[in-house]
Amino acid sequence: MLELLKNLASWLTSPAQWSGPEGIATRVLEHLEYSVLATLAAAVIALPIGLLIGHTGRGAFLAVNLSSFGRALPTVGLVTLVFLAGGLSVWPVYVSLVALAVPVIITNTYAGMAAVDPEVKDAAKGVGLRGRQILWQVELPLALPLIMTGVRLATVQVVATATIAAYVSFGGLGRYVFDGLAQRDLVQVLGGAALVAVLAVAADLALGGLTRLLFRGRPAAAR
Amino acid sequence: MNRRTVLTALLAGASAPLLASCSSGITSLKGDGAGGDSGNSSGGLTIGTANFTENQILGYLYAGVLNAAGVKTTVKPNLGSREIVVPALRSGDIDLLPEYQGSLLLYLDKKATETEAGAMQNALATVVPDGLEVLPYAAAEDRDSFAVTQETADRYGLKTLADLRKVNGKLVFGAAAEMKKRVVGVVGLKDQYGVEFKEFKALDSSGPLVKGALKKGDIDVANVFTTDVDIVENGWVLLADPKNLIPAQHIVPLIASRKADSKVRKALARLGNTLTTPQLTELNRLVDKEKRDPDRVADAWLKKHKLG
Repeated sequence: MLELLKNLASWLTSPAQWSGPEGIATRVLEHLEYSVLATLAAAVIALPIGLLIGHTGRGAFLAVNLSSFGRALPTVGLVTLVFLAGGLSVWPVYVSLVALAVPVIITNTYAGMAAVDPEVKDAAKGVGLRGRQILWQVELPLALPLIMTGVRLATVQVVATATIAAYVSFGGLGRYVFDGLAQRDLVQVLGGAALVAVLAVAADLALGGLTRLLFRGRPAAAR
Repeated sequence: MNRRTVLTALLAGASAPLLASCSSGITSLKGDGAGGDSGNSSGGLTIGTANFTENQILGYLYAGVLNAAGVKTTVKPNLGSREIVVPALRSGDIDLLPEYQGSLLLYLDKKATETEAGAMQNALATVVPDGLEVLPYAAAEDRDSFAVTQETADRYGLKTLADLRKVNGKLVFGAAAEMKKRVVGVVGLKDQYGVEFKEFKALDSSGPLVKGALKKGDIDVANVFTTDVDIVENGWVLLADPKNLIPAQHIVPLIASRKADSKVRKALARLGNTLTTPQLTELNRLVDKEKRDPDRVADAWLKKHKLG
Protein backbone atom coordinates (compact mmCIF):
# COMPACT_ATOMS: atom_id res chain seq x y z
CA MET A 1 0.00 0.00 0.00
CA LEU A 2 2.78 2.40 0.98
CA GLU A 3 4.72 1.31 -2.09
CA LEU A 4 1.69 2.08 -4.25
CA LEU A 5 1.28 5.56 -2.80
CA LYS A 6 4.97 6.22 -3.32
CA ASN A 7 4.72 5.16 -6.96
CA LEU A 8 1.61 7.27 -7.35
CA ALA A 9 3.38 10.32 -5.92
CA SER A 10 6.34 9.93 -8.23
CA TRP A 11 3.98 9.37 -11.21
CA LEU A 12 2.14 12.58 -10.40
CA THR A 13 5.25 14.66 -9.83
CA SER A 14 7.72 13.49 -12.47
CA PRO A 15 8.36 16.27 -15.01
CA ALA A 16 8.45 13.75 -17.87
CA GLN A 17 4.91 12.69 -17.01
CA TRP A 18 3.70 16.27 -17.32
CA SER A 19 5.17 17.19 -20.70
CA GLY A 20 4.61 16.05 -24.28
CA PRO A 21 1.51 15.18 -26.30
CA GLU A 22 0.59 12.41 -23.85
CA GLY A 23 1.63 14.33 -20.75
CA ILE A 24 -0.62 15.34 -17.89
CA ALA A 25 -0.68 19.02 -18.93
CA THR A 26 -2.04 18.16 -22.38
CA ARG A 27 -4.53 15.67 -20.94
CA VAL A 28 -5.83 18.20 -18.42
CA LEU A 29 -6.33 20.78 -21.19
CA GLU A 30 -8.14 18.22 -23.34
CA HIS A 31 -10.29 17.24 -20.41
CA LEU A 32 -11.16 20.89 -19.72
CA GLU A 33 -11.93 21.45 -23.40
CA TYR A 34 -14.49 18.62 -23.48
CA SER A 35 -15.98 19.67 -20.13
CA VAL A 36 -16.26 23.39 -20.75
CA LEU A 37 -17.65 23.09 -24.28
CA ALA A 38 -20.16 20.43 -23.24
CA THR A 39 -21.35 22.39 -20.20
CA LEU A 40 -21.68 25.61 -22.21
CA ALA A 41 -23.65 23.84 -24.92
CA ALA A 42 -25.86 22.25 -22.27
CA ALA A 43 -26.45 25.64 -20.62
CA VAL A 44 -27.39 27.20 -23.95
CA ILE A 45 -29.97 24.46 -24.48
CA ALA A 46 -31.23 24.04 -20.93
CA LEU A 47 -31.41 27.58 -19.52
CA PRO A 48 -34.03 28.93 -21.96
CA ILE A 49 -36.14 25.81 -21.51
CA GLY A 50 -35.94 26.00 -17.72
CA LEU A 51 -36.70 29.74 -17.67
CA LEU A 52 -39.63 29.34 -20.05
CA ILE A 53 -41.17 26.53 -18.05
CA GLY A 54 -40.59 28.35 -14.78
CA HIS A 55 -42.01 31.62 -16.06
CA THR A 56 -45.11 30.24 -17.75
CA GLY A 57 -45.62 27.35 -15.37
CA ARG A 58 -46.53 25.23 -18.40
CA GLY A 59 -44.96 21.92 -19.35
CA ALA A 60 -43.30 21.53 -15.98
CA PHE A 61 -44.55 17.99 -15.50
CA LEU A 62 -43.31 16.90 -18.92
CA ALA A 63 -39.96 18.68 -18.61
CA VAL A 64 -39.17 17.42 -15.15
CA ASN A 65 -40.06 13.85 -16.06
CA LEU A 66 -38.16 13.99 -19.32
CA SER A 67 -35.21 15.27 -17.33
CA SER A 68 -35.44 12.38 -14.91
CA PHE A 69 -35.53 10.05 -17.88
CA GLY A 70 -32.47 11.80 -19.29
CA ARG A 71 -30.63 11.32 -16.03
CA ALA A 72 -31.27 7.61 -16.19
CA LEU A 73 -29.58 7.28 -19.59
CA PRO A 74 -26.34 5.37 -19.23
CA THR A 75 -23.64 7.61 -20.66
CA VAL A 76 -21.46 4.83 -22.02
CA GLY A 77 -24.47 3.35 -23.80
CA LEU A 78 -25.24 6.69 -25.38
CA VAL A 79 -21.62 7.11 -26.50
CA THR A 80 -21.68 3.69 -28.14
CA LEU A 81 -25.01 4.40 -29.82
CA VAL A 82 -23.89 7.72 -31.32
CA PHE A 83 -20.55 6.17 -32.27
CA LEU A 84 -22.23 3.36 -34.18
CA ALA A 85 -24.60 5.79 -35.89
CA GLY A 86 -22.10 8.52 -36.70
CA GLY A 87 -18.68 6.91 -36.81
CA LEU A 88 -15.41 7.73 -35.16
CA SER A 89 -15.44 11.42 -34.23
CA VAL A 90 -15.58 13.50 -31.08
CA TRP A 91 -19.36 13.95 -31.47
CA PRO A 92 -20.39 10.94 -29.40
CA VAL A 93 -18.45 12.41 -26.49
CA TYR A 94 -20.15 15.80 -26.71
CA VAL A 95 -23.63 14.40 -27.31
CA SER A 96 -23.46 12.22 -24.23
CA LEU A 97 -21.91 14.87 -21.99
CA VAL A 98 -24.50 17.43 -23.06
CA ALA A 99 -27.24 14.88 -22.48
CA LEU A 100 -25.83 14.37 -19.00
CA ALA A 101 -25.76 18.09 -18.14
CA VAL A 102 -29.03 19.30 -19.68
CA PRO A 103 -31.45 17.59 -17.23
CA VAL A 104 -29.57 18.91 -14.19
CA ILE A 105 -29.66 22.48 -15.45
CA ILE A 106 -33.31 22.32 -16.53
CA THR A 107 -34.58 20.95 -13.23
CA ASN A 108 -32.56 23.42 -11.15
CA THR A 109 -33.56 26.37 -13.28
CA TYR A 110 -37.18 25.36 -13.03
CA ALA A 111 -36.87 24.81 -9.29
CA GLY A 112 -35.32 28.25 -8.88
CA MET A 113 -38.10 29.89 -10.84
CA ALA A 114 -40.78 27.96 -9.01
CA ALA A 115 -39.32 29.03 -5.67
CA VAL A 116 -39.85 32.72 -6.40
CA ASP A 117 -42.52 33.99 -3.98
CA PRO A 118 -45.81 34.48 -5.87
CA GLU A 119 -46.46 37.63 -3.80
CA VAL A 120 -43.28 39.16 -5.19
CA LYS A 121 -44.51 38.42 -8.71
CA ASP A 122 -47.91 39.91 -7.87
CA ALA A 123 -46.24 42.99 -6.48
CA ALA A 124 -44.19 43.33 -9.67
CA LYS A 125 -47.38 43.08 -11.71
CA GLY A 126 -48.98 45.60 -9.37
CA VAL A 127 -46.33 48.24 -10.04
CA GLY A 128 -46.95 47.78 -13.74
CA LEU A 129 -44.16 45.44 -14.92
CA ARG A 130 -44.90 43.30 -17.99
CA GLY A 131 -44.27 39.60 -18.35
CA ARG A 132 -40.85 39.94 -19.91
CA GLN A 133 -39.80 42.58 -17.39
CA ILE A 134 -40.92 40.38 -14.52
CA LEU A 135 -38.85 37.50 -15.94
CA TRP A 136 -35.64 39.48 -16.38
CA GLN A 137 -35.87 41.92 -13.49
CA VAL A 138 -37.63 39.95 -10.78
CA GLU A 139 -37.72 36.19 -11.32
CA LEU A 140 -34.29 35.63 -12.87
CA PRO A 141 -32.32 37.51 -10.22
CA LEU A 142 -34.20 35.73 -7.45
CA ALA A 143 -33.80 32.32 -9.11
CA LEU A 144 -30.15 32.84 -9.99
CA PRO A 145 -28.61 31.18 -6.92
CA LEU A 146 -30.45 27.90 -7.65
CA ILE A 147 -29.74 28.20 -11.36
CA MET A 148 -26.05 28.60 -10.58
CA THR A 149 -26.22 25.55 -8.34
CA GLY A 150 -27.58 23.61 -11.32
CA VAL A 151 -24.76 24.78 -13.56
CA ARG A 152 -22.26 23.96 -10.86
CA LEU A 153 -23.65 20.45 -10.35
CA ALA A 154 -23.71 19.86 -14.08
CA THR A 155 -20.11 21.01 -14.43
CA VAL A 156 -18.89 18.67 -11.73
CA GLN A 157 -20.76 15.74 -13.28
CA VAL A 158 -19.44 16.54 -16.73
CA VAL A 159 -15.84 16.88 -15.52
CA ALA A 160 -16.13 13.56 -13.71
CA THR A 161 -17.69 11.86 -16.75
CA ALA A 162 -15.53 13.35 -19.51
CA THR A 163 -13.26 10.33 -18.97
CA ILE A 164 -15.49 8.51 -21.47
CA ALA A 165 -13.78 10.42 -24.29
CA ALA A 166 -11.01 7.85 -23.89
CA TYR A 167 -13.53 5.05 -24.39
CA VAL A 168 -13.84 6.08 -28.03
CA SER A 169 -10.11 6.67 -28.52
CA PHE A 170 -9.91 10.38 -27.65
CA GLY A 171 -7.81 12.12 -25.00
CA GLY A 172 -8.49 13.73 -21.67
CA LEU A 173 -7.66 12.29 -18.27
CA GLY A 174 -9.73 9.18 -19.04
CA ARG A 175 -6.84 8.07 -21.25
CA TYR A 176 -4.85 7.24 -18.09
CA VAL A 177 -7.76 5.36 -16.55
CA PHE A 178 -8.61 3.30 -19.64
CA ASP A 179 -5.01 2.65 -20.69
CA GLY A 180 -4.00 1.87 -17.15
CA LEU A 181 -6.82 -0.64 -16.75
CA ALA A 182 -6.02 -2.24 -20.10
CA GLN A 183 -2.33 -2.48 -19.28
CA ARG A 184 -2.85 -3.51 -15.65
CA ASP A 185 -0.99 -0.38 -14.58
CA LEU A 186 -2.66 0.49 -11.29
CA VAL A 187 -0.51 3.56 -10.66
CA GLN A 188 -1.62 5.08 -13.96
CA VAL A 189 -5.30 4.33 -13.18
CA LEU A 190 -5.04 5.89 -9.72
CA GLY A 191 -3.12 8.87 -11.05
CA GLY A 192 -5.77 9.53 -13.69
CA ALA A 193 -8.61 9.08 -11.19
CA ALA A 194 -6.95 11.41 -8.67
CA LEU A 195 -6.46 14.09 -11.32
CA VAL A 196 -10.11 13.82 -12.38
CA ALA A 197 -11.20 14.19 -8.76
CA VAL A 198 -8.95 17.20 -8.23
CA LEU A 199 -10.22 18.80 -11.41
CA ALA A 200 -13.86 18.24 -10.43
CA VAL A 201 -13.33 19.71 -6.97
CA ALA A 202 -11.44 22.66 -8.45
CA ALA A 203 -14.26 23.34 -10.92
CA ASP A 204 -16.79 23.19 -8.08
CA LEU A 205 -14.79 25.61 -5.93
CA ALA A 206 -14.23 27.98 -8.83
CA LEU A 207 -17.93 28.14 -9.66
CA GLY A 208 -18.77 28.46 -5.98
CA GLY A 209 -16.41 31.42 -5.74
CA LEU A 210 -17.95 32.94 -8.83
CA THR A 211 -21.44 32.58 -7.37
CA ARG A 212 -20.40 34.25 -4.13
CA LEU A 213 -18.83 37.08 -6.12
CA LEU A 214 -22.07 37.54 -8.09
CA PHE A 215 -24.25 37.71 -5.00
CA ARG A 216 -21.94 39.68 -2.76
CA GLY A 217 -24.45 42.43 -2.09
CA ARG A 218 -27.28 40.08 -1.15
CA PRO A 219 -28.43 39.02 2.31
CA ALA A 220 -27.14 35.55 3.19
CA ALA A 221 -30.61 33.99 3.03
CA ALA A 222 -30.94 34.82 -0.65
CA ARG A 223 -27.64 33.36 -1.75
CA MET B 1 -28.68 -21.18 -6.29
CA ASN B 2 -27.69 -17.65 -6.96
CA ARG B 3 -26.92 -18.37 -10.58
CA ARG B 4 -30.27 -20.08 -11.04
CA THR B 5 -32.07 -17.10 -9.62
CA VAL B 6 -30.26 -14.88 -12.06
CA LEU B 7 -31.02 -17.24 -14.93
CA THR B 8 -34.66 -17.36 -14.00
CA ALA B 9 -34.83 -13.61 -13.75
CA LEU B 10 -33.13 -13.25 -17.09
CA LEU B 11 -35.49 -15.69 -18.73
CA ALA B 12 -38.51 -14.08 -17.19
CA GLY B 13 -37.41 -10.56 -17.97
CA ALA B 14 -35.74 -10.79 -21.33
CA SER B 15 -37.79 -13.42 -23.10
CA ALA B 16 -41.21 -13.08 -21.55
CA PRO B 17 -42.85 -12.20 -24.87
CA LEU B 18 -40.94 -14.96 -26.65
CA LEU B 19 -41.58 -17.61 -24.08
CA ALA B 20 -44.52 -19.10 -25.91
CA SER B 21 -42.46 -19.81 -29.00
CA CYS B 22 -39.21 -20.56 -27.25
CA SER B 23 -39.68 -23.52 -24.97
CA SER B 24 -36.08 -24.67 -25.19
CA GLY B 25 -34.97 -21.91 -22.86
CA ILE B 26 -36.92 -23.63 -20.15
CA THR B 27 -35.58 -27.03 -21.12
CA SER B 28 -31.99 -25.97 -20.66
CA LEU B 29 -32.79 -24.42 -17.30
CA LYS B 30 -34.48 -27.62 -16.16
CA GLY B 31 -31.58 -29.72 -17.44
CA ASP B 32 -29.15 -27.60 -15.52
CA GLY B 33 -31.07 -27.81 -12.27
CA ALA B 34 -32.08 -31.45 -12.33
CA GLY B 35 -28.66 -32.76 -13.27
CA GLY B 36 -26.87 -30.55 -10.79
CA ASP B 37 -25.87 -33.19 -8.28
CA SER B 38 -26.00 -36.37 -10.31
CA GLY B 39 -22.85 -35.51 -12.29
CA ASN B 40 -20.12 -36.81 -10.07
CA SER B 41 -21.95 -39.32 -7.94
CA SER B 42 -23.21 -41.44 -10.83
CA GLY B 43 -19.75 -41.61 -12.36
CA GLY B 44 -20.73 -39.23 -15.16
CA LEU B 45 -18.79 -36.23 -16.26
CA THR B 46 -19.57 -32.59 -15.42
CA ILE B 47 -18.69 -30.03 -18.06
CA GLY B 48 -18.27 -26.40 -17.05
CA THR B 49 -18.19 -23.47 -19.42
CA ALA B 50 -17.10 -19.87 -19.18
CA ASN B 51 -19.46 -16.95 -19.51
CA PHE B 52 -19.52 -16.36 -23.25
CA THR B 53 -21.46 -17.79 -26.15
CA GLU B 54 -18.72 -19.74 -27.90
CA ASN B 55 -17.57 -21.46 -24.75
CA GLN B 56 -21.11 -22.58 -24.00
CA ILE B 57 -21.55 -23.98 -27.49
CA LEU B 58 -18.28 -25.89 -27.05
CA GLY B 59 -19.53 -27.24 -23.72
CA TYR B 60 -22.67 -28.62 -25.37
CA LEU B 61 -20.60 -30.03 -28.26
CA TYR B 62 -18.43 -31.87 -25.71
CA ALA B 63 -21.55 -33.12 -23.95
CA GLY B 64 -23.18 -34.30 -27.17
CA VAL B 65 -20.17 -36.17 -28.51
CA LEU B 66 -19.55 -37.80 -25.11
CA ASN B 67 -23.19 -38.82 -24.72
CA ALA B 68 -23.01 -40.47 -28.14
CA ALA B 69 -19.96 -42.38 -26.93
CA GLY B 70 -21.94 -43.63 -23.93
CA VAL B 71 -20.57 -41.25 -21.28
CA LYS B 72 -23.14 -39.55 -19.08
CA THR B 73 -22.61 -35.81 -18.89
CA THR B 74 -23.99 -32.73 -17.19
CA VAL B 75 -23.36 -29.24 -18.52
CA LYS B 76 -22.95 -26.30 -16.16
CA PRO B 77 -23.06 -23.33 -18.51
CA ASN B 78 -22.02 -19.77 -17.90
CA LEU B 79 -20.01 -20.27 -14.70
CA GLY B 80 -17.80 -17.22 -15.12
CA SER B 81 -14.35 -16.21 -16.27
CA ARG B 82 -11.23 -18.38 -16.36
CA GLU B 83 -10.41 -17.16 -12.86
CA ILE B 84 -13.53 -19.02 -11.72
CA VAL B 85 -13.79 -22.07 -13.96
CA VAL B 86 -10.22 -23.34 -13.71
CA PRO B 87 -10.26 -23.36 -9.88
CA ALA B 88 -13.65 -25.13 -10.08
CA LEU B 89 -11.99 -27.82 -12.18
CA ARG B 90 -9.10 -28.16 -9.74
CA SER B 91 -11.46 -28.52 -6.81
CA GLY B 92 -13.43 -31.25 -8.59
CA ASP B 93 -16.71 -29.35 -8.96
CA ILE B 94 -16.40 -29.82 -12.69
CA ASP B 95 -14.41 -32.36 -14.71
CA LEU B 96 -14.04 -30.90 -18.18
CA LEU B 97 -13.64 -27.45 -19.64
CA PRO B 98 -13.32 -26.14 -23.20
CA GLU B 99 -10.20 -23.96 -23.13
CA TYR B 100 -7.98 -21.97 -25.45
CA GLN B 101 -4.25 -22.76 -25.78
CA GLY B 102 -2.66 -19.32 -25.54
CA SER B 103 -4.92 -17.86 -22.88
CA LEU B 104 -4.73 -20.99 -20.73
CA LEU B 105 -0.95 -21.16 -21.01
CA LEU B 106 -0.53 -17.53 -19.97
CA TYR B 107 -2.99 -18.06 -17.12
CA LEU B 108 -0.95 -20.99 -15.83
CA ASP B 109 2.47 -19.52 -16.62
CA LYS B 110 2.72 -15.76 -16.98
CA LYS B 111 6.22 -15.95 -18.46
CA ALA B 112 5.38 -18.37 -21.28
CA THR B 113 6.71 -17.26 -24.66
CA GLU B 114 5.50 -20.04 -27.00
CA THR B 115 3.25 -18.88 -29.82
CA GLU B 116 3.14 -21.83 -32.23
CA ALA B 117 0.41 -24.42 -31.63
CA GLY B 118 2.64 -27.51 -31.27
CA ALA B 119 5.17 -25.86 -28.96
CA MET B 120 2.32 -24.45 -26.96
CA GLN B 121 0.77 -27.87 -26.49
CA ASN B 122 4.06 -29.18 -25.08
CA ALA B 123 4.37 -26.18 -22.78
CA LEU B 124 0.81 -26.68 -21.57
CA ALA B 125 1.50 -30.34 -20.73
CA THR B 126 4.28 -29.28 -18.36
CA VAL B 127 2.42 -26.50 -16.54
CA VAL B 128 -1.07 -27.95 -15.96
CA PRO B 129 -1.66 -28.62 -12.27
CA ASP B 130 -1.48 -32.21 -10.93
CA GLY B 131 -4.61 -34.20 -11.60
CA LEU B 132 -5.47 -32.25 -14.73
CA GLU B 133 -4.41 -32.68 -18.31
CA VAL B 134 -4.77 -31.03 -21.67
CA LEU B 135 -6.04 -33.26 -24.50
CA PRO B 136 -5.02 -32.75 -28.17
CA TYR B 137 -6.09 -29.45 -29.64
CA ALA B 138 -8.89 -28.92 -32.13
CA ALA B 139 -8.61 -27.60 -35.67
CA ALA B 140 -10.86 -24.71 -34.65
CA GLU B 141 -9.14 -21.66 -33.27
CA ASP B 142 -10.40 -18.42 -31.70
CA ARG B 143 -7.40 -16.16 -31.94
CA ASP B 144 -6.58 -12.47 -32.05
CA SER B 145 -6.17 -11.38 -35.63
CA PHE B 146 -5.80 -8.26 -37.69
CA ALA B 147 -8.48 -7.56 -40.27
CA VAL B 148 -8.76 -5.16 -43.18
CA THR B 149 -11.68 -4.62 -45.54
CA GLN B 150 -11.56 -6.39 -48.90
CA GLU B 151 -11.21 -2.98 -50.53
CA THR B 152 -8.14 -2.04 -48.47
CA ALA B 153 -6.60 -5.46 -49.11
CA ASP B 154 -7.07 -5.08 -52.87
CA ARG B 155 -5.86 -1.51 -53.04
CA TYR B 156 -2.57 -2.13 -51.23
CA GLY B 157 -2.14 -5.82 -52.03
CA LEU B 158 -2.33 -6.96 -48.41
CA LYS B 159 -2.24 -10.67 -47.61
CA THR B 160 -0.01 -10.99 -44.56
CA LEU B 161 1.05 -8.75 -41.71
CA ALA B 162 4.41 -8.33 -43.49
CA ASP B 163 2.61 -6.63 -46.39
CA LEU B 164 1.55 -3.82 -44.05
CA ARG B 165 5.14 -2.57 -44.25
CA LYS B 166 4.49 -1.39 -47.80
CA VAL B 167 2.03 1.17 -46.48
CA ASN B 168 3.95 2.28 -43.38
CA GLY B 169 2.63 5.54 -41.97
CA LYS B 170 -0.58 5.42 -44.03
CA LEU B 171 -3.02 3.23 -42.14
CA VAL B 172 -4.94 3.78 -38.91
CA PHE B 173 -5.00 0.83 -36.51
CA GLY B 174 -7.90 0.36 -34.11
CA ALA B 175 -7.81 -2.05 -31.19
CA ALA B 176 -8.27 -2.27 -27.43
CA ALA B 177 -6.11 0.13 -25.41
CA GLU B 178 -3.75 -2.66 -24.24
CA MET B 179 -2.69 -3.35 -27.85
CA LYS B 180 -0.68 -0.17 -27.87
CA LYS B 181 1.89 -1.56 -25.46
CA ARG B 182 1.54 -5.27 -26.15
CA VAL B 183 3.81 -7.52 -28.15
CA VAL B 184 0.66 -8.89 -29.80
CA GLY B 185 -0.12 -5.40 -31.02
CA VAL B 186 1.72 -2.25 -32.00
CA VAL B 187 5.00 -3.32 -30.36
CA GLY B 188 5.28 -6.76 -31.97
CA LEU B 189 4.10 -5.55 -35.37
CA LYS B 190 6.93 -3.03 -35.37
CA ASP B 191 9.64 -5.33 -33.98
CA GLN B 192 8.83 -8.45 -35.98
CA TYR B 193 7.30 -7.07 -39.17
CA GLY B 194 8.64 -3.50 -39.24
CA VAL B 195 5.12 -2.16 -39.48
CA GLU B 196 4.33 1.39 -38.44
CA PHE B 197 0.87 2.88 -38.40
CA LYS B 198 -0.17 6.44 -39.05
CA GLU B 199 -2.18 6.40 -35.84
CA PHE B 200 -3.41 4.08 -33.11
CA LYS B 201 -7.02 4.39 -31.97
CA ALA B 202 -7.82 2.84 -28.60
CA LEU B 203 -11.29 1.26 -28.98
CA ASP B 204 -12.30 -2.26 -27.90
CA SER B 205 -11.29 -5.83 -28.74
CA SER B 206 -13.49 -7.27 -31.46
CA GLY B 207 -16.41 -5.28 -30.03
CA PRO B 208 -18.95 -2.86 -31.49
CA LEU B 209 -16.57 0.12 -31.50
CA VAL B 210 -13.69 -1.40 -33.42
CA LYS B 211 -15.96 -3.26 -35.84
CA GLY B 212 -18.17 -0.22 -36.37
CA ALA B 213 -15.11 1.92 -37.09
CA LEU B 214 -13.71 -0.60 -39.60
CA LYS B 215 -17.08 -0.83 -41.33
CA LYS B 216 -17.30 2.94 -41.66
CA GLY B 217 -13.68 3.26 -42.80
CA ASP B 218 -12.64 5.34 -39.80
CA ILE B 219 -9.87 2.83 -39.18
CA ASP B 220 -8.06 0.64 -41.73
CA VAL B 221 -6.82 -2.26 -39.62
CA ALA B 222 -8.85 -3.73 -36.77
CA ASN B 223 -8.16 -6.26 -34.05
CA VAL B 224 -10.86 -8.97 -34.26
CA PHE B 225 -11.19 -12.55 -33.03
CA THR B 226 -11.05 -15.25 -35.73
CA THR B 227 -14.47 -16.68 -34.89
CA ASP B 228 -16.21 -13.31 -34.98
CA VAL B 229 -19.36 -13.51 -37.06
CA ASP B 230 -18.88 -10.04 -38.54
CA ILE B 231 -15.70 -11.11 -40.36
CA VAL B 232 -17.69 -13.37 -42.68
CA GLU B 233 -20.70 -11.08 -42.91
CA ASN B 234 -18.58 -8.11 -44.00
CA GLY B 235 -16.10 -10.07 -46.10
CA TRP B 236 -13.13 -8.76 -44.11
CA VAL B 237 -9.67 -10.13 -44.87
CA LEU B 238 -7.63 -11.54 -41.98
CA LEU B 239 -3.93 -10.88 -42.50
CA ALA B 240 -1.81 -14.02 -42.19
CA ASP B 241 0.87 -14.20 -39.51
CA PRO B 242 3.85 -16.12 -41.02
CA LYS B 243 6.15 -15.30 -38.08
CA ASN B 244 3.74 -16.57 -35.41
CA LEU B 245 3.58 -13.25 -33.64
CA ILE B 246 0.10 -14.01 -32.33
CA PRO B 247 -0.14 -16.95 -29.91
CA ALA B 248 -2.18 -19.89 -31.18
CA GLN B 249 -5.58 -20.25 -29.53
CA HIS B 250 -6.75 -23.65 -30.72
CA ILE B 251 -9.50 -25.09 -28.59
CA VAL B 252 -8.25 -27.67 -26.09
CA PRO B 253 -10.18 -29.81 -23.63
CA LEU B 254 -8.85 -29.31 -20.09
CA ILE B 255 -9.90 -32.39 -18.14
CA ALA B 256 -9.51 -34.08 -14.78
CA SER B 257 -7.16 -37.02 -15.42
CA ARG B 258 -9.31 -39.48 -13.45
CA LYS B 259 -12.14 -38.93 -15.93
CA ALA B 260 -10.03 -39.08 -19.07
CA ASP B 261 -10.49 -42.73 -20.07
CA SER B 262 -9.94 -43.90 -23.64
CA LYS B 263 -13.63 -43.54 -24.52
CA VAL B 264 -13.60 -39.89 -23.52
CA ARG B 265 -10.28 -39.20 -25.24
CA LYS B 266 -11.42 -40.77 -28.51
CA ALA B 267 -14.72 -38.92 -28.58
CA LEU B 268 -13.16 -35.52 -27.89
CA ALA B 269 -10.41 -36.15 -30.45
CA ARG B 270 -13.00 -36.93 -33.14
CA LEU B 271 -14.82 -33.70 -32.32
CA GLY B 272 -11.55 -31.73 -32.36
CA ASN B 273 -10.56 -33.08 -35.77
CA THR B 274 -13.93 -32.26 -37.30
CA LEU B 275 -14.70 -28.81 -35.93
CA THR B 276 -13.09 -26.01 -37.95
CA THR B 277 -12.86 -22.28 -37.29
CA PRO B 278 -15.48 -21.33 -39.95
CA GLN B 279 -17.88 -23.92 -38.53
CA LEU B 280 -17.45 -22.60 -35.01
CA THR B 281 -18.01 -19.09 -36.35
CA GLU B 282 -21.25 -20.25 -37.95
CA LEU B 283 -22.37 -21.81 -34.65
CA ASN B 284 -21.62 -18.50 -32.92
CA ARG B 285 -23.70 -16.72 -35.54
CA LEU B 286 -26.68 -19.02 -35.02
CA VAL B 287 -26.68 -18.27 -31.30
CA ASP B 288 -25.70 -14.58 -31.25
CA LYS B 289 -27.49 -13.31 -34.34
CA GLU B 290 -30.37 -15.75 -34.79
CA LYS B 291 -30.92 -16.17 -31.06
CA ARG B 292 -31.00 -19.97 -31.19
CA ASP B 293 -30.19 -21.98 -28.09
CA PRO B 294 -26.58 -23.13 -27.75
CA ASP B 295 -27.55 -26.71 -26.82
CA ARG B 296 -29.84 -27.08 -29.85
CA VAL B 297 -27.27 -25.57 -32.17
CA ALA B 298 -24.59 -27.94 -30.86
CA ASP B 299 -26.85 -31.01 -31.20
CA ALA B 300 -27.82 -30.14 -34.74
CA TRP B 301 -24.20 -29.70 -35.76
CA LEU B 302 -23.19 -33.01 -34.17
CA LYS B 303 -26.00 -34.86 -35.96
CA LYS B 304 -25.03 -33.31 -39.27
CA HIS B 305 -21.44 -34.45 -38.85
CA LYS B 306 -22.49 -37.86 -37.52
CA LEU B 307 -20.90 -37.28 -34.14
CA GLY B 308 -24.03 -37.04 -32.01
